[in-house]
Amino acid sequence: MLYRCIPFIAGCVFLFAAADRADAHPHVWVTMTEELLYAPDGSVAGVRHAWTFDDMFSAFATQGVAQKTKGEFTREELAPLAKVNVESLKQYAYFTYARLDGKRRRDAFVEPIDYYLDFDPKETVLTLHFTLPFKQPVKAKTLEVEVYDPEFFIDFGFAEKDPVRLVSAPAQCTVSIQKPSDGNFPSSLRLDQAFQTSEANIGMGANFANKISVNCP
Amino acid sequence: MTGDVGTQLLRRMAQTTTIVAFALLAASALTVAYAQISPLAAMRQPPATGLVGWILTEQSMFYRALSRLIREAKTDGTAYWSLIGISFIYGIFHAAGPGHGKAVISSYLVANEETWRRGIALSFASALLQAMTAIVIVSVAAGLIGATAKMMGDTVRVVEIVGYSLIALLGARLLWVKGRGFLRALRAVGEEHAGHAHHVRHDHHGHTHAHGHEHTHAHGHAHDRDEEDGLLPWGHAHGPEPDELAGPGGWRRGLSAIVAVGLRPCSGAIIVLVFALAQGLFLAGVASTFVMGLGTAITVAAIATIAVGARTAAKRVASTRAGYGTLILRGIEVGAAAVVMAFGALLLTGYMASERMGMF
Repeated sequence: MLYRCIPFIAGCVFLFAAADRADAHPHVWVTMTEELLYAPDGSVAGVRHAWTFDDMFSAFATQGVAQKTKGEFTREELAPLAKVNVESLKQYAYFTYARLDGKRRRDAFVEPIDYYLDFDPKETVLTLHFTLPFKQPVKAKTLEVEVYDPEFFIDFGFAEKDPVRLVSAPAQCTVSIQKPSDGNFPSSLRLDQAFQTSEANIGMGANFANKISVNCP
Repeated sequence: MTGDVGTQLLRRMAQTTTIVAFALLAASALTVAYAQISPLAAMRQPPATGLVGWILTEQSMFYRALSRLIREAKTDGTAYWSLIGISFIYGIFHAAGPGHGKAVISSYLVANEETWRRGIALSFASALLQAMTAIVIVSVAAGLIGATAKMMGDTVRVVEIVGYSLIALLGARLLWVKGRGFLRALRAVGEEHAGHAHHVRHDHHGHTHAHGHEHTHAHGHAHDRDEEDGLLPWGHAHGPEPDELAGPGGWRRGLSAIVAVGLRPCSGAIIVLVFALAQGLFLAGVASTFVMGLGTAITVAAIATIAVGARTAAKRVASTRAGYGTLILRGIEVGAAAVVMAFGALLLTGYMASERMGMF
């Protein structure tokens, strides 16, 4: 009978909707160690990233790179690749988002400096080092830096040991980190909410980012 | 008598609900496209919650296990079997992601009134092609020429532009063919209505009776017309329209869809292949890629079968509703054709997220 196929069709609707939610999945894993660099006057001058890629992506990235010793890459051999990397990262805003005194700042950073790649022959992994200087050194009571890929092709995660360091920061500054799995968001999103694009939801992405919070009272 | 009325009422409710469900299905298909271009899509996806989160977590785990297993396969032959198994499961989970053409294939099947058999064949053929493009790109670019990751990324970009253009063209062609079918159905309904008005004016009997009588007549009339037009008559309709007839050339027709969907290789497969090459175990990578494709095909085929099933159900509903039924059916086809074209156009213009090739 006709009405027998209704649950079936309802199932289809659900499946389509569910499939939609599962559309982003990472192919690259980054383990990051972050440093916030302070100027002598106590302002924040920049963010120093050290991103270690997973072994599979490291093999992919180093494909075709000339090497003197098999299984090893020197910093010099990797220099052209490092240049390509930071240049490509520009279109992704370096996956780095800053928030000063609670306000989100677009184009807070200028082009990266001091960049290089190094290769760990034992773990066969690449690490990309680069510094993102702030356009103007930042003097803010609270500073939040988030690192994430909005498209979730790259899965960023903090290193287990000493993920964040404040470099020559004023003594009263404290730092804390927040991982995406820290659970400060509702455990289940309702479907209708997930599809809403209201202003209230725009900030939601931040909840899924790796967040570094610095407090300098 | 009461039971009859009850059954009729139920049937009507069922019809209405099914139509509403279909509108929802179309809407959710559009949401898929929309969600990927909306500002919300620029946000990180919510991590592991519920079933979807579980799928995400599982597939990440499987993907990461691949590198370990390829490494182990160098010294331990039994690791090959685990590699094959994990690749298969990863393929099944992975196909839920973008770039595997499940939405395009499903919409194509709905628009083109294909059978579930063809749906499955199409899914498998396009997944096989997808695996082969990945293998060809990596073996030629990385294996023979010694190309860098950036060069491979650029190659994929070119292949992808061709593939997306084909999807858009395929959708445009379907839209053209199905749009005409829709207009014909629209005309048929219009004529049926004209006949209806005519009869009522000339009927001198009781209104209720005349209405029922006349209705049957109009039905039969439109029915005949439809068969003359070569349009699908409701009730015993089957098979594609004459200009879309499968026949011996049917495979050539499906080929365009296979190529359009299967041309763009999966980023994951390329990364795995390059890794296997670097480990000196390229064949393990090739085997893994083919098995991954098999898993992908199963998921895509399952979704395609559901789409075909939903369409068949819609047809059954349409068959009970004279005139409008065909119109709705044609409308669904036009909508599905438009979705195929929209997918192609959105992917091509970069408004819709496809898989990236790393960060190059």
